[in-house]
Amino acid sequence: MLDIKLLSFRYQFKTILSQLSFCAVTGEILHITGPNGSGKTTLMSLLAGLRKEASGTIEYRLSSGKAAEDRRTYVEYLPAEANALFGKMDAMSNLRFWRKLRNLEASDASIRAVLKKWDLDHPLVRENFPVESFSTGMKRRLALARLELSETPCWLLDEPLYGLDTKGIETFQLMLDEHLKKGGITIIVSHDIAPLERFPVRRLDLLQEARA
Amino acid sequence: MKRFLTQYRALLWQALQVEWSNSERWMSPLLFSTTMILLFAFAFGKVDVAFLPQLYIAATYLTASFSLQIAFSRVLEPDTQDRVFDQLRTYPISPSAWFLSKYTVVILLGVLILLPTLFLSNLFLNNEGPVSLLNSSVLIVAVLMLLSLGAIGVLLSTMMLRSNAKQILYPLLYFPLTVPVLLSAVESSRMILVDGKDLSYLMSSWLGLLVIFGIMYFTLCLLLFGELIKPE
Repeated sequence: MLDIKLLSFRYQFKTILSQLSFCAVTGEILHITGPNGSGKTTLMSLLAGLRKEASGTIEYRLSSGKAAEDRRTYVEYLPAEANALFGKMDAMSNLRFWRKLRNLEASDASIRAVLKKWDLDHPLVRENFPVESFSTGMKRRLALARLELSETPCWLLDEPLYGLDTKGIETFQLMLDEHLKKGGITIIVSHDIAPLERFPVRRLDLLQEARA
Repeated sequence: MKRFLTQYRALLWQALQVEWSNSERWMSPLLFSTTMILLFAFAFGKVDVAFLPQLYIAATYLTASFSLQIAFSRVLEPDTQDRVFDQLRTYPISPSAWFLSKYTVVILLGVLILLPTLFLSNLFLNNEGPVSLLNSSVLIVAVLMLLSLGAIGVLLSTMMLRSNAKQILYPLLYFPLTVPVLLSAVESSRMILVDGKDLSYLMSSWLGLLVIFGIMYFTLCLLLFGELIKPE
């Protein structure tokens, strides 16, 4: 469970988030909504550990109820406007690198199995082909493959469907379904809500929360 | 410890792959240093043998310092693309493993620039070979200088990523911090080549200072790096 209590954040004297409290529980999607500039991406970067909260707490609670020492071990973040991929490296090298950083086994077979799901397992695509030559949709699919390979229970997804085609969206739905069935937590910021309708979604409107 | 080593190896291997795939990154400082040495050689012309060691030291260290600065300032450049640096900050990475991997890359890159600079400088400035300028003691001094500058290079490159005053911050901080290192390296080399002193003698003077600065900069930069990658 991701437990957020009285979270506040200010940027250059402007209050972006004020006394926000909520929790994201296992097996459900928490959909963060709000108009542009309401602090959705700021909230995601706070949860990911990129920004420091002005006050309040963000805790990832283990099944024992104890707060994790370093929540980054359990959280994988997918930013909105980037995929965080090394352009000069190929798909396999990129995924192998991010998996090793999480101290996970990074065999070619395990990586290729996920690449296959995302339709990136072609020999001319997966190896010796720099990611910078990928199309927008391919880069997003590779970033989503990294998300799956992270084996983290909590996913923070900021506009995850950006650039995906119909097949990509279907693969995303399948991956999300598996993740939730395994007891995963997902926090999503997305303006495209139709692909999420089949899932148990709880909404958190930042504008309403700010008024409350 | 196992986690630290796995992360260090992964970060180092990835950085080396990126450097290798983009040869322009190490080739431009190397070409810069070759051009500088050639210019010095043409400008000096035929030099009195007595002044040759001093000229060699001045030209070599000046060239090396500038070309290393170019290389160091770009060491985190691949991480800025596609927000890789931010993504790395969201991972449970040991700051020491991260710093040491970048430091190792910087040192390897530095050796790739420094050794040819020393060799070419000897070749062009000392083309008639009246004195031996390229000796093991000078090489050790140069490598010790590189070890100090490398730590500053990694720290300042990271600071550049996190600061709003990117363009001005690096030269403002790099040059004052490198002065004691460069001075002690130049003085040590001069005493080796001109006064004929050995390394053990120099340990109690300029070389000792160089070693102390190296240890100090490495420790400080290792500790400060952890602070730089923390949440804003």
